[in-house]
Amino acid sequence: MESGLLRVDLTTGEIKREILPHSMFERWVGGSGINDWLLWEHFLKHDIMCDARSPENVLIFGVGPLAGVGSGIGVKGRLTFKSPCYGSFGDSTGGGKFPYVVRFSGYDYIVVTGKAPKPVYIHICNGEVTICDATHLWGKDSAETHQMLRKELGDYPSEAYTLSIGQAGENQVGIAGVIADGWRIHARCGGGGVMGSKNLKAIVTQGTQGIKIDDPSSLLEWSDGFRQKLDANEAAYGFKRRGTLGAVEMYQKIGGNFWRNNQGAMFRGEEVRSDNWVKKYHKYSEVCSSDCYIACDGRYKIEGHESDAAQKYVGESFRHPEYLTTGSSAGALDVRDWAEVAHWGKITNDYGIDNQDLSCSISFLMELKQREIISDRDVEELFGRPQSLEWGKMEDIEALVEDVVYQRNPFGWLFRDGAYHGALRYSEQQGQNFMKYAMYGKGGASFTEEMRPFPTWMNNMAVASRGADHLKGIGLIEKFQRRDLSKVYFNGRTEAGDPTIPDLKGASTALIENQVALINSYGVCMFHWMLDPLGYAPESYYGEVYTAVTGIDRTKEERMLDGERICNLEKAFNSRLGMRREHDTICERWMHEPCPEGPNKGRVAGDMFEQVLEEYYEWRGWDKETGLQTRQKMEELGLEDVADVLAADNAMAGERRADRAVHVDVKIADDPGIPD
Amino acid sequence: MITVQAEYTARFKEITQTTSETIQLEQANMAELAQMLTTKYGPQMQALLIDPNTQDLNTNGTLFIDSSGRRLFIDDTLADGETVSFMVGIAGG
Amino acid sequence: MQETRQKELVNGEVWYSPGDDVPNVPTKLFALQNLCTDCKMCEVACSLIHSPEGELNPVWTRIKIDHAPQVSRVSKDGFGFMPAICHHCANPPPCAEVCPTDAFYYDPKTQAAVIDQDKCIQCMECVPGCPFDTVFVAPTGELLKCDLCGGDPACVKACSTRPEMLNAGKQYSRMPVLFYEEKAAFGQILRQKPEAKDEVGIMQAMLSKGKVSSAA
Repeated sequence: MESGLLRVDLTTGEIKREILPHSMFERWVGGSGINDWLLWEHFLKHDIMCDARSPENVLIFGVGPLAGVGSGIGVKGRLTFKSPCYGSFGDSTGGGKFPYVVRFSGYDYIVVTGKAPKPVYIHICNGEVTICDATHLWGKDSAETHQMLRKELGDYPSEAYTLSIGQAGENQVGIAGVIADGWRIHARCGGGGVMGSKNLKAIVTQGTQGIKIDDPSSLLEWSDGFRQKLDANEAAYGFKRRGTLGAVEMYQKIGGNFWRNNQGAMFRGEEVRSDNWVKKYHKYSEVCSSDCYIACDGRYKIEGHESDAAQKYVGESFRHPEYLTTGSSAGALDVRDWAEVAHWGKITNDYGIDNQDLSCSISFLMELKQREIISDRDVEELFGRPQSLEWGKMEDIEALVEDVVYQRNPFGWLFRDGAYHGALRYSEQQGQNFMKYAMYGKGGASFTEEMRPFPTWMNNMAVASRGADHLKGIGLIEKFQRRDLSKVYFNGRTEAGDPTIPDLKGASTALIENQVALINSYGVCMFHWMLDPLGYAPESYYGEVYTAVTGIDRTKEERMLDGERICNLEKAFNSRLGMRREHDTICERWMHEPCPEGPNKGRVAGDMFEQVLEEYYEWRGWDKETGLQTRQKMEELGLEDVADVLAADNAMAGERRADRAVHVDVKIADDPGIPD
Repeated sequence: MITVQAEYTARFKEITQTTSETIQLEQANMAELAQMLTTKYGPQMQALLIDPNTQDLNTNGTLFIDSSGRRLFIDDTLADGETVSFMVGIAGG
Repeated sequence: MQETRQKELVNGEVWYSPGDDVPNVPTKLFALQNLCTDCKMCEVACSLIHSPEGELNPVWTRIKIDHAPQVSRVSKDGFGFMPAICHHCANPPPCAEVCPTDAFYYDPKTQAAVIDQDKCIQCMECVPGCPFDTVFVAPTGELLKCDLCGGDPACVKACSTRPEMLNAGKQYSRMPVLFYEEKAAFGQILRQKPEAKDEVGIMQAMLSKGKVSSAA
């Protein structure tokens, strides 16, 4: 297994081609694992404390070895960088055809450094790389950029696919995402802001080069078997039709939704709490990424007769709402019509901005207004105009989205890095502590799901390397109460499958983080795995096809160690930045306020929080007092080189060096202030 | 004889063509409820409900809970008037 | 015959009344173009079978998903896909008719027209000769045409929308795109009347003819 690595320095215009050797895959698996290592290497030579919006930051794109080989598990690309909004390790995943076609372009990994003097895009075609002028694309949204680039570059030797930013990225908004093919956003952590700060509008790929496969006949046999397993899996048919949208009804029953800034745990709108979307809105066939046998995504077009609100958006076409698109609008903002939810998904995607952080910023202010903590005058000062801040009014919400995207008033500037930093800056500005109403987890990242009754999820939100997020450790064992899985993974013990007790919750966070790290490194989609977590386990079943493609044969246990190694590298990156145990936390409401409704009414996360976190450190083999890694654990994982760097930076448990200054806080991008 | 309310989401709703129904059971347990639904709705329901390897309720990609949010297994007993939700387990997005 | 086929291709919207003598109903591999999701599972599966050993490269594919807004029901937005797929035309197929060296022969097992690479002089006459644009050229100059994988087409097995209908019947809004063998009857249904063009219509027609069972 070897892969092409492309290095582009936008300051000098230098383009370098390297080969990632087989040994790299043996150590870091691929995809996000290799991305993490490239990021780590970059910041050995550059100042890790740099401003994430400076040319010193790096933007790494990578796609794992299983992407696009016909395994049928979907294709996911991954961007890795230092996050401008959370100030920590940042990465983000996304589908689309870009990560599929990039595999045939000659490079699986792209590292972009420096800053271009003017807007540019990078064109990669069968190994040849050109840095092109993008002045004409600047100011265009992601969908338009995609269409223009496709027209510009034609469809020879293959159709062109793009990774681009919208206006939010151009304006270096911290929570801006990067969009594949104009409709699949890599939303989290602010990759769009990093691209914008580099004056990089897009990366375009075309290609017809082959991928090396170690053992094609095993691969074919495996994928035939996988398709048969999926065909026989009755639950998959429900998932094929709805995608993650199916979670709305389920969360409504288990009290897992996030309503009005999490003042509630259930949606209220009659429409949005059912799955009427699939009945009323025709699903046109168009899949998320290539090489996916589930194909849960689809395109819709609003015809106007679906609801009264739908008449506003007649003819609008986009992909169907995912669960978190719904959670951030129908939930956090209490929007009650499917057409409006869909429209929210479309505008946040086209402008290229993360709807989690954005909706929690808006819902934070809506709650302040609802509780009359801020006056109409405060609101007018914040927005430079009278603004209603009423729950669920889509026209108003749309104006607020534009405020942040175009950075056109104090609200936009204050909240450009999401709800936590926005609330912090606004509290400072007003001389009053509003932090109680800001919803966030680690790093200040927001997430629109109810956490309080689910200890593994809660712990995951507090420790995820890229800031609070479910895709770093989705707590399946607990949320679906899988005592059977708990038994398999924890030596016959069933406690991990019972969300009402703290036992084994830290352990399952660690376990699932390792599994997720493997899936992300293979370059495939996580959602197939959820249909049969044991049957499709990344360390065994998916591991077999990884072996067929790369020739790297490992035991189950060794693969789990591979996953753990990747998690530890991400952790080490954050430790170098000064993140310690006190940064592994969640917001006040999640921690101390009881869950307001549903079957889990009255549950408080704080009751179990410390115990679960301690158990997590224990299973990780990290120091409980500081939250830092230990040399023993690092040596077990073969990370001696990483340990040495940590020790030199005073970021290793039990190894303090008096001659080194201790970083005490994570550096957040400077407050942009209010321009004249 | 007890009466329970069965609620369906997603794939269950498609198979049963309804969102909820009232079911009378001779014996107050999940085994009988599962048996009854399998008989009524056929092989697709059976594939969703029963794991052929363990003969217990299927755990993969599904979630069956009572009104207190507790997951149900084949040997669980049911109280009169209990609501049982049959769901396809999905998380995230 | 040739003329009708051309007409059908140009506007893509020719529909026949029941009982009409339907020209060129394909008899082997068949795709419902407007239902394609562009997942490219067929393309990848085909490339995997036909690429040189140890490689996977879509340039070796015999089936290709083209971006084709003109066949899409949401065409205004410029999305829509069409699998460029060999129809395995009745004897003699147009690709073979234009071949100056008679390099095409019928595989006795699958009844697919296959190219004899030893006879082929790579003149590429068959590329424009195919009315469906499904003869491709490999980087080596070799002409590529669907050979039905010896009777068990990998693309059909890989089609991601296929199992939904076969397993689940009318409860699903999406239909399989690729068919093998069973499609001649489907072709007749498709051509019955314009209403049957939508997925539900096609699905119902198939169910009523017993071509698909509603449950596995």
